Amino acid sequence: MGLVTGQGYWTPLIWLALAAGVTALAWLFWSRGRRTYKAGTEQDMPFLSGERLPEGVHVGSHHLYWGFVEGLKPILDRLVGFHSGVVVDYVAWTVVLLAIALVVVLT
Amino acid sequence: MGNFAFLAAMLLVGIGLWALVSRRNLIKLAIGLSIIQSGVNLFLVSLGYVRGGVAPIYTYAPPGVPMVLPTPQALTLTAIVIGLATTALMLAFIVVIYRHRGTLDAGKIRELKG
Amino acid sequence: MNIMVHAPILAIAVPLLGAFALPLFAKVHRNLRDLWGAAVAGFTAAMAVALAVQAFTSGIQVYTLGAPSPTDTVVAGGFPIRIMLVVDALSAFMGLITTVLGLASLVYAWRFLREDQGKTLALTLFFLLWAGIYGLEYTGDMFNFFVFLEITSIAACALVGYRTWESRPPEAAFKTMALYTLGGLLVLLAVGILYGEYGALNIAYLSSKIRGALVDKVALGLLLGGLLMKAGTVPAHMWAPDAYGEAPAQAAIVLVGNTQASLYGLWRVLFTLFGGALFAPQVGWLVVALGTLTLLVAVLMAVIQVDLTRLIAYGAVSQIGYMLLGVGVGLTVLSGRPEFGLVAIRGGVFHMLNDAATVGLLFLAAGAVYRAVGSKDLRALGGLGHDLKWTGGFFLLGALALAGVPPLNGFASKILIYQSSFQLSPILAAIAVLGSILLLAVFVRAFQGAFLGPRLTKAEPAPLSMLVAMGALAVLVIALGLVPGFFLEHLVNPAADALWRGRDLYLAAVLGG
Repeated sequence: MGLVTGQGYWTPLIWLALAAGVTALAWLFWSRGRRTYKAGTEQDMPFLSGERLPEGVHVGSHHLYWGFVEGLKPILDRLVGFHSGVVVDYVAWTVVLLAIALVVVLT
Repeated sequence: MGNFAFLAAMLLVGIGLWALVSRRNLIKLAIGLSIIQSGVNLFLVSLGYVRGGVAPIYTYAPPGVPMVLPTPQALTLTAIVIGLATTALMLAFIVVIYRHRGTLDAGKIRELKG
Repeated sequence: MNIMVHAPILAIAVPLLGAFALPLFAKVHRNLRDLWGAAVAGFTAAMAVALAVQAFTSGIQVYTLGAPSPTDTVVAGGFPIRIMLVVDALSAFMGLITTVLGLASLVYAWRFLREDQGKTLALTLFFLLWAGIYGLEYTGDMFNFFVFLEITSIAACALVGYRTWESRPPEAAFKTMALYTLGGLLVLLAVGILYGEYGALNIAYLSSKIRGALVDKVALGLLLGGLLMKAGTVPAHMWAPDAYGEAPAQAAIVLVGNTQASLYGLWRVLFTLFGGALFAPQVGWLVVALGTLTLLVAVLMAVIQVDLTRLIAYGAVSQIGYMLLGVGVGLTVLSGRPEFGLVAIRGGVFHMLNDAATVGLLFLAAGAVYRAVGSKDLRALGGLGHDLKWTGGFFLLGALALAGVPPLNGFASKILIYQSSFQLSPILAAIAVLGSILLLAVFVRAFQGAFLGPRLTKAEPAPLSMLVAMGALAVLVIALGLVPGFFLEHLVNPAADALWRGRDLYLAAVLGG
């Protein structure tokens, strides 16, 4: 059922068995921990840096990875500029691709 | 002189490509594509030309005279029909775009970008 | 008359007839139209599957049109004058992918499309596109390849832009159409050059004659330019996010099938048509380089997308990069034929099937989101998991599979690509793994944005027909992931062998021993 990859092999069923074993182990450790959690008390409430958060706040997905995007801004800005949305540019890039292909094939 | 048709075809393809990358009006883009199409069609039909040949219809051809190749003509006809369909569809999209945006400038029709 | 003999042409002709007859039946009654569509789709799928079984068990199937018998491939003198359909293991494999995507699209469309929003039109165009894709995959003739390429172009662009009452779809359709037309003309020019040189259009005959003269190289360059564009390779991929992003969900997954058929055409050109002339190493490196560039650029663009379908579309483009990388590695080392080249091609070909299932699942789930809340802007979405439980689950499954998380199917094919490209150059494998990590980040973000968080709006759950289509693809995703060895052995290995050493068999099947 597995596959031979040339340098090893990959068998999802064994992987699943291992994953189940690790999960069981994690559950075992967790179940031996302290039992001070009480449902319905303020332990259930969301806090951020000690501040009580209001209910029903949704962090929009475009706020995730803000730092990552900020760090890569020079590259990403250039990439966005490259996808200008002008159909003439699309055609020009296709011609560039054609030129690359012709140059590689002819040399 | 034998290669004149090929040169003309390549010239048409070049003119069409130039129109595609240098003009920003959507209609002119469609025209550029049509010019490339004509160039390719001219190339195809001139492939089958035989000097002094007659139309390849067996029943009417005089004996002993060479005939031009029939296959490129069939290819060209098919390519012309396909070209008609693509041009019509493209022009239809241009009409719709103009109704929505009120412009044909490719530089201004870029709601989809990034 | 044994109907199975005619399976290749029926798989193309029946959906074509189905497309043009569909509006007539719709005039009578819409239930009659649906019945007709189901009958045509069922028959077409049966033909494609039966053809695949034949091709996998008894070798290459050749069907000659207009001959006294479909097996009369050549006239006296060994010249193949007639139009032919040639179905080897790779064509049959692609046909199966097309069948899966087409059926899923149709079942989904039944409840997804609305009668007052051009349902008849969309179904007609779908059948036209489906017929064109089958034609691309089964044809054994360069000119018919061009004709089917244009049929798919026209049908695909019309399917992207038929919602003319909105402002974005026609724009996407026009941009796509301009590029598709240009690409089609490049292919036609190449076909003309090859015809002028050798006086034939049959792929097998041309392949037996091509020796790598200057005009052959020009033709190869033109074919590469046209087909790489149609497959959505960076830097000519810009149409893909527009078209995938604006097409309705049931059309987007058939567009994925169309892209893969173009990739198939590329493989056919590189491995079969030009397989004997072997300017392989530098062309292989070109494909590898473009593949790595594609996956990197597409993934980075996906990171910053705020439109759900556009984000998935960039994910789909990045998967094209993986396929190019896998098969490109195989092409680079084709002359020496070391073992890892075959593994790479298997990875690339297997990834086509996996990509069809996972990207299809994601587009369908995104379509269900759009149908439920009328928006696909990630800045406005949120908390849909409360109402769309099944859709959310399917989206998560597809997202994890696309990012290559074990034990789902994306990992099974990607590990083949990682390990074999590592043997060509470790940098390639590193970029491929980096792409997968970024993809996981991208889709975690998309899932969080659309499905998690407090309920923002009330959403209506997806109807049963849409859930059935998504469920079928989800089952495929899990099955391909859990027992990859089974699928590899019965489907992928024969298809990869058709590329790796199948050229001689292909030529022999058409031209005779």
